[in-house]
Amino acid sequence: MRNYEIMFIVNPNVVDDEIDKINSQVEGIITTGGGTVVKVEKMGKRRLAYPVDKFRDGSYVLFTITATGEVVKETERRLRVMDTVIKYLTVRMDEDNRRQDKIKAHRQKRALRRSTNSANRSAPEQPMDEK
Amino acid sequence: MAIQKQYYRRKKVCKFCVERIDSINYKDVKLLSQFVPERAKIMPRRISGVCSPHQRRLTDAIMKARNIALLPFATE
Repeated sequence: MRNYEIMFIVNPNVVDDEIDKINSQVEGIITTGGGTVVKVEKMGKRRLAYPVDKFRDGSYVLFTITATGEVVKETERRLRVMDTVIKYLTVRMDEDNRRQDKIKAHRQKRALRRSTNSANRSAPEQPMDEK
Repeated sequence: MAIQKQYYRRKKVCKFCVERIDSINYKDVKLLSQFVPERAKIMPRRISGVCSPHQRRLTDAIMKARNIALLPFATE
């Protein structure tokens, strides 16, 4: 199981209710394949950087999921078939997340070391002050 | 007499290293668009000063963003 982000653009003429319907459909595909949906985010209507199928705007939807490659393959196939979805992108996130956690842990360790070092340095000063 | 250097060129630093930006995400259009000049090409390292590991990630992110129409491939 890996973490993925699936982002897709829905035709701008589609109303909000129908986007919800598409979302539940996609969610259904993922859960039936044994994956889990972590987060669904509707990013709203945005201007596209270039025209796609003669549309200049589009409603963005972002799915954060945990699933196998098979599920992603199936989801992508279904997205391709839907005519309201004009573009999609799947990005694998787990490697990137792991890298970030590593950096974060490393930074925390360094910060901890630094704080203990400064504590040791200031420790001998205190009794001298008391005298 | 030796010719004096007229310009003092400021040393460029990698924005991502200095500001400690860990993740270069394809969704962060605001950040990415700083490295995409007018013609929508990716800014070379010699101009932006980004270090090579970060430039690699930046390029990846920009390419992903282009794919989902967050950034243009070229200006028309």
